[in-house]
Amino acid sequence: MNNTKKGLLIVIAIAIAVLFLLPLLWMLSTSFKNDFEAISANIHWIPQQFTFKNYTYSLSGDNSDVPVLRWIFNSVFVGVAGTILVVAVDAMAAYGLARLDVPFKKFLFPIFISTLMIPWVVTFLPMYMEFSDFNLLNSYAALILPYTGNAFGVFLMYQFFRSFPNELEEAGHLDGANKWQIFLKIALPSAKPMLWTLAIFTFMSIYNDFLWPLVATSSPDMRTISTGIAIMQQGTFVSSFGKLMALTSIATVPIMIVFLIGQKYFIKGVTQSGIK
Amino acid sequence: MKKKHWKSQFTSSLFVLPYLFLFVVFLLVPILYGIWISFHNWDLLAANHKFVGLQNYVDIFTSSTNIHKKFFQGMWSTIQFVIYSVPLLVILGLLFALLVNALPKRIQGLFRTIYFLPYAISVSVVAVIWLWILDTNSGLLNLLLHKPIPWLTELPYAWVALVLATIWWTIGFNMIIFINALNDVPEDMYEAASLDGANSWQKLIHITLPAIKPILIFVVITSTIASFNVYGQPFLMTRGGPGVATKVLLMNIVDTAFQDRQLGSASAMAILMSLIMIIISIIQFKATNLKKE
Repeated sequence: MNNTKKGLLIVIAIAIAVLFLLPLLWMLSTSFKNDFEAISANIHWIPQQFTFKNYTYSLSGDNSDVPVLRWIFNSVFVGVAGTILVVAVDAMAAYGLARLDVPFKKFLFPIFISTLMIPWVVTFLPMYMEFSDFNLLNSYAALILPYTGNAFGVFLMYQFFRSFPNELEEAGHLDGANKWQIFLKIALPSAKPMLWTLAIFTFMSIYNDFLWPLVATSSPDMRTISTGIAIMQQGTFVSSFGKLMALTSIATVPIMIVFLIGQKYFIKGVTQSGIK
Repeated sequence: MKKKHWKSQFTSSLFVLPYLFLFVVFLLVPILYGIWISFHNWDLLAANHKFVGLQNYVDIFTSSTNIHKKFFQGMWSTIQFVIYSVPLLVILGLLFALLVNALPKRIQGLFRTIYFLPYAISVSVVAVIWLWILDTNSGLLNLLLHKPIPWLTELPYAWVALVLATIWWTIGFNMIIFINALNDVPEDMYEAASLDGANSWQKLIHITLPAIKPILIFVVITSTIASFNVYGQPFLMTRGGPGVATKVLLMNIVDTAFQDRQLGSASAMAILMSLIMIIISIIQFKATNLKKE
């Protein structure tokens, strides 16, 4: 390709990149403006009266209407706990199904995988009723457990363990290691990139989920940050865009850190989920 | 030997049991429970739920009922969103992938990351950011245009707003899948075409598109399914308005369940909605399989 054409493509790519970043920059910019300047008819990318008030208002611990720190804690805690649970349980199941003499595995695996086709909208209302029946709405259990039945992770890890070389396991057998030892000391360490893929994928989907935590929780203390934003946007903060943007900026920080650190694994996960 | 075999199987099944338990409790039981609920007149506040068989489903197809209105109005809004968003999500996703792949190797990763970045954000953040940009009076876009366009409260703008936010949010996902598919197309096919004097456009039509057809179909379907599940954007940005124009099916299902407290009707709506989505998935699998034969 000639240089002019290449240069043109780079210019287009940069223009699109700027368009993609502008909404985030506008969010950040507004979050440092006072309410008056936020709705001003003049566009100022750099706030004229730079203020941290929107952040201190949302983050101050004594603000019981907007327990943002608690919401962030809930989201991160639920994300981490859910991720650990999903990764541990799915890796074990996938290893068992792929490498061990699990009874009925020829029957179980297809059942697990076939549920990947069932849209979550089917389970959403009965799941609510299930947690309601056991009086578990508004609890961490309700925010974590519904994500654990998903077969995606089992499928992903199964693919990996299937192509895992026999020799390593056999060497373990010769050393007298039992199944658990082989799983923990040989299979899992070699599956590390895959485990990270699943972990980041799972964390992001739990941290970012919206509708389920919205219906599964009702007390302000048990909200996650993504549902907290929705509540504030339709309530107290409805016309205070400075505060709202501070809230969304705060919500974006943890997930951006995870995304940027785990980016290469996450992209791999997207690819793997794409090629069924 | 026999005893040892039994013991070995027992140890092995311990690996699968924890997941099996979670699968049953948090997937299988909810599915069956949902079907069970849909056969009942299930008022959330009433103590007794009367078995009504298929009545909830019959009601959905009986034109005089409230539930009929909710289902079909919601379905129409959802289908409109699918029609507006899916072609753009697929075509722009592919164009972005082609663009990134045509850039010098050193900067591909940077642009891929930037275009993919919004995908990491939750829908409530996406909706609130765009709500702010598209605000009629003080939104950034109208300030730039010097026009008070009612992006969120009038048609057809409300659809434009929802589709715009959705594309910004999710296009990166499709792009990544396309980039990987494009990288799997054998290089020698392009070389052969070059020798035959094919230009870039001809290569795209005759080599690239046929080679990535299964992935193309896959992306069409995943985008359709994702768009069917739309909830956060209209819930937060247009609140279903103007009127009920952007009130999508999922919003009506949630309303039927939690405002009207009619769990039975809501479950029947949810089951019908997913049947439609499953049928679309099956068509996808069929289409991809045909290609392979």
